[in-house]
Amino acid sequence: LSSAAPISPAEPISQAYSLALYMQKNTSTLLQTYLQHQGSPFSDPGFSAPELQLSSLPPAAVPFKTWHALDDGERLSRAQGAFLALTQHLQLVGDDQSDLNPGSPILLAQLGAARLRAQGLLGNMAAIMTALGLPIPPEEDTLGLVAFGASAFERKCRGYVVTREYGHWTDRAVRDLALLKAKYPA
Amino acid sequence: TMDVYFGWRHLSQVVGNKRMRMTSSFQWLLSTFILLYLMNEVNSQKKGALRDLKCVTNNLQEWDCSWKAPLGAGRGTVYEVCIEDRPRSCYRLEKTNIKIAALSPGDHEIRINSLHDLQSSMSKFILNERNVSLVPDTPKILNLSADFSTSTLHLTWNDKGSLFPYHSNVIWEIKILRKESMELVKLATYNTTLSGKDAVRHWSWTSDMPLECATHHVGIRRYIDCPHFSGRKEWSDWSPMKNISWTPDSQTKVFPQDKVILVGSDITFCCVSQEKVLLAQIGHKNCPLIQLDGGNVAIEIHNISVSANSGTNVVFTTEDNMFGTVVFAGYPPDSPQKLNCETHDLKEIICSWNPGRPTALVGPRNTSYTLFESFSGKYVKFKRVEALTNESYQLLFQMLPNQEMYNFTLNARNPLGRSASTILVNITERVSPHAPTSFKVKDINSTAVTLSWHLPGNFAKIYLLCEIEINKANSIQESRNVTVKGVENSSYLVAVDKLNPYTVYTFRIRCSTETFWKWSKWSNERKHLTTEAIPSKGPDTWREWSSDGKNLIIYWKPLPINEANGKILSYNVSCSSNEETQSLSEIPDPQHKAEIQLDKNDYIISVVAKNSVGSSPPSKIASMEIPNDDLKVEQAVGIGKKILLTWHHNPNMTCDYVIKWCNSSRSDPCLMDWKKVPSNTTETIIESDQFRPGIRYNFFLYGCRNQGYQLLRSITGYIEELAPIVAPNFTVEDTSADSILVKWEDIPVEELRGFLRGYLFYFEKGERDTSKMRGLESGRSDIKVKNITDISQKTLRIADLQGKTSYHLVLRAYTDGGMGPEKSMFVVTKENSVGLIIAILIPVGVAVLVGIVTSILCYRKREWIKETFYPDIPNPENCKALQFQKSVCEGSSALKTLEMNPCTPNNVEVLETRSTVPKIEDTEIMSPVAERPEGHSEAEPGNHVAVSYCPPIIEEELPDPAVDEAGGTAQVIYIDVQSMYQPQAKPEEEQDSDPVAGAGYKPQMRLPINSAAEATAVGDDVDKTAGYRPQANVNTWHLVSPDSPRSTDSNSEIVSFGSPCSINSRQFLIPPKDEDSPKSNGGGWSFTNFFQNKPND
Repeated sequence: LSSAAPISPAEPISQAYSLALYMQKNTSTLLQTYLQHQGSPFSDPGFSAPELQLSSLPPAAVPFKTWHALDDGERLSRAQGAFLALTQHLQLVGDDQSDLNPGSPILLAQLGAARLRAQGLLGNMAAIMTALGLPIPPEEDTLGLVAFGASAFERKCRGYVVTREYGHWTDRAVRDLALLKAKYPA
Repeated sequence: TMDVYFGWRHLSQVVGNKRMRMTSSFQWLLSTFILLYLMNEVNSQKKGALRDLKCVTNNLQEWDCSWKAPLGAGRGTVYEVCIEDRPRSCYRLEKTNIKIAALSPGDHEIRINSLHDLQSSMSKFILNERNVSLVPDTPKILNLSADFSTSTLHLTWNDKGSLFPYHSNVIWEIKILRKESMELVKLATYNTTLSGKDAVRHWSWTSDMPLECATHHVGIRRYIDCPHFSGRKEWSDWSPMKNISWTPDSQTKVFPQDKVILVGSDITFCCVSQEKVLLAQIGHKNCPLIQLDGGNVAIEIHNISVSANSGTNVVFTTEDNMFGTVVFAGYPPDSPQKLNCETHDLKEIICSWNPGRPTALVGPRNTSYTLFESFSGKYVKFKRVEALTNESYQLLFQMLPNQEMYNFTLNARNPLGRSASTILVNITERVSPHAPTSFKVKDINSTAVTLSWHLPGNFAKIYLLCEIEINKANSIQESRNVTVKGVENSSYLVAVDKLNPYTVYTFRIRCSTETFWKWSKWSNERKHLTTEAIPSKGPDTWREWSSDGKNLIIYWKPLPINEANGKILSYNVSCSSNEETQSLSEIPDPQHKAEIQLDKNDYIISVVAKNSVGSSPPSKIASMEIPNDDLKVEQAVGIGKKILLTWHHNPNMTCDYVIKWCNSSRSDPCLMDWKKVPSNTTETIIESDQFRPGIRYNFFLYGCRNQGYQLLRSITGYIEELAPIVAPNFTVEDTSADSILVKWEDIPVEELRGFLRGYLFYFEKGERDTSKMRGLESGRSDIKVKNITDISQKTLRIADLQGKTSYHLVLRAYTDGGMGPEKSMFVVTKENSVGLIIAILIPVGVAVLVGIVTSILCYRKREWIKETFYPDIPNPENCKALQFQKSVCEGSSALKTLEMNPCTPNNVEVLETRSTVPKIEDTEIMSPVAERPEGHSEAEPGNHVAVSYCPPIIEEELPDPAVDEAGGTAQVIYIDVQSMYQPQAKPEEEQDSDPVAGAGYKPQMRLPINSAAEATAVGDDVDKTAGYRPQANVNTWHLVSPDSPRSTDSNSEIVSFGSPCSINSRQFLIPPKDEDSPKSNGGGWSFTNFFQNKPND
């Protein structure tokens, strides 16, 4: 923990910010691709089901005031936790879809790519936290035992929530990192 | 009140439900029975007797009989029941019913005494089994359970079979009611046979509605059809109802989940919800809601269509949530198509198939395949590969030692069903080997090689059939089949013979088994050059003596590749006679000719070709030429590119015939090529790429005898004759007034290009630059043609021509190949002197006659003339000068004389031309006119002034209307002399001047003779020509003539008359004569012209 001090946080923040921006470009494509493969009503134009949530995945939506008031450690650890959950959920969704849509390599590839990017962002955030001298939260299994035995419809909904929240969390991460970037200029 | 309520409810339901007709009729019977019973009771009371003995049984062993007590009977009444035909069978009892053991069939009398208050009454009944009712006990449901995942109800109960005779049939009736409102959804019958023992019966039913969404009630009753019982059989009562309902235990709200169904079937989905469901949809389609108990709803889907990979979504939407499920509509697996099992190596069997119709089910629902082999009992499972869609699937099955027959069953299965295909194979007959590898070629000798290859596989027990493909350049592909004994994973060797030495072959090989199934793929190709062998024949040889006869030139042809058997390195040539042998050895290959100086001419020449392996057998030829005296040169023409030569059989010729040929224009010894044909042939076709059309070749046929060759025939020929490319050179040898002698030369052979067949000679009247000359072939009648077929003729005289006329002569040669070009010439025949003399004499005679007549008239009328023309006192009225004034005032008649003016320039030009270009005229008469208009027009600047091509008669051209416009000459005279009269008189003057001016004219008359002679003698020096000088004189004479006092011209006389007067006087003087005399004179003039101008028509 003490070794973190000499590294400047600006560089990992900048890297993480670039990655988050890059991810942001692909999130809507991922969501659209995902929905197109699930059949109606998911694939209907303008489909949206905000009521669907996953208890194992923290929602990205947060009141602006609360978000703004977060300190660096809190901000980073929430994002860290969310992306940790997202990587695990994206893995789960990938498995679900290889059962439901085994003949759609594009969808499976996009889900795999999103998972790898989320993992990359996790690494970048860990570097920022190290640079800032913050404790890195331990990895934990966010999915637990609930994941198995879900019906096909639940899997489709779950995948929808995960890909949607992946987009929301990426948007939030871009803003989080922009804030930090401004705070720790190079 | 609750009971009542339920009772009403129940009745109303019974009435309302048509399906419960059985139940309702039963109840109607019951109520009728009660009514009858009451009436009977009333009657009995009156009689005081027992009534209505009634017996029922529930097990056939024991009858329960009951009766109605009489009126007034109450407690304490004792009944004595006696069965008459049964010993000791009286029973005392205080009840109104009795259980008796079943009676045998038939009528039985029953007596019942009732004892009450010491009163007794007795009743008698006849009891028969037929009057007994069989009403089985009410069945009891042992268990009712539900499999919610499959929406199946399982019902169990005990059939109590031990109570009834063995083999009694039982009909069970089961009713299923749904929802709290107990809607009947199923009334099922189930037949069983009793086994004599108690047995637990099972019955299952699958609901179309998922069991989770509505409570289901089940009841059962039975009917026993006992064959030996003759009484009435009745349904038992319904068992107590049991029901199944679902207690929510998970998040799931919509049922069924993840169901796989057949495309086109019907299905009901339902949703368990506390909230109000607003909308239900499957895919895009909204569905009408069916309300169930509570907030639950259901939808029915009919004829479902095929799903996408991820299934069809069914979604129920509430105010603030959505619930859903996925259904997978697909097809059961098609039976695997084109199942085929074969092996590449007899180690592993590959079975492949086509899945047939797609099932539309993927992932875990996809079809699984198992390949089962029934003789060995072994099987392999197919690992799902998603990428494969409708391609061929395949499975590998390890071969079993010592098993050749395999009976494969391929089972296909998915959640909707299964299918199978079978195939029975003898695997040794289904071998499709891999492509042979390590394919190599090795030499054995020059005509045989060894092929070796490797073939992986366990072929030890079978024979392989292999096909070897042998390709040789420019040859038909050859295939040979070989059978080899199979070995285990090894190489194979086979020898291929009957090949040609020193030849490039391409080999490749493929294999199958002796019991053919399929060829393997071809191996790689291998190119191989077989080794050399000694040349199989000596070269084709010919010899020619040099022109001086001292040297013998030996020719031979290179051996064709199939006889050379290798690369020919050199040749050995030897000439041997009885005494000596000369040799030339090691002549390197590209040289195919040798020259040897020989003393005499009787040698045997032998030529041997050598390659790296050895020498060919020698080819021998005798050097001697046997003379032949009677030799003619014949002609032959080929067909196409070939020429056919035939000859008569000559028994003296023992070895062969040789035809040699060469281009006729080459000098001796000439040899282009030769051809040998066997001695028994009498014809041959000579063919060569070197032959060209239009070239003359000489062919020589030699016959071979022991001592040497004898020239038998000499033939000149063409492969194809062409038209000559030049015209024969011809000249005019002699010209007379009516004939021309033409002479020509031979055309050289090279330019003739065929056998000369003759000449065509055309002639016609014509001059060089008139366009009429063109087109000799157009068949104009005035062209005369002579066809000269005697080709030895070299001259031609053309007779019957007109004198002093230009002729156009054309000569061309022709062959069978066509007409050669033309050469043309213009020649003028000499003047016809007799006609000329006549033409001169007549006008002179006429002039003299007119003069004499005039003189006589003048003499006789001299007084009148004097009065009229020369009076002593002139009459002013007769003066022409005054009339002249008047005429001027009157009009233009006087001006006519001036109209001659426009012609002046022509006259000037003609005069200049003559003085400057005499040379041109002369050369032109000589120049050949082979060239046609084009050439002519080029030469025009030079020729321009040479209006006439007949200078010898040039002054005769002057009167020619085309040239003279004769006023021209007159105009000059007019100007010089200032005589207004001259132009008018001009034609006459000219006509007249011809005969009169004899002195001026004479040289001209001589001129044609001189010029013709000089023309042939190439008279270029024109200055000397006598014909020209007089022309200048003529001009002078013309100029001078009007004033000349010497003139005897009649016009001159008129001039002398008219000279004092003005120009107008002429019109008065001889108006009629002036009109006539030119005409008559013109006749004389045109008579002369006749010779000259007619060609110009």
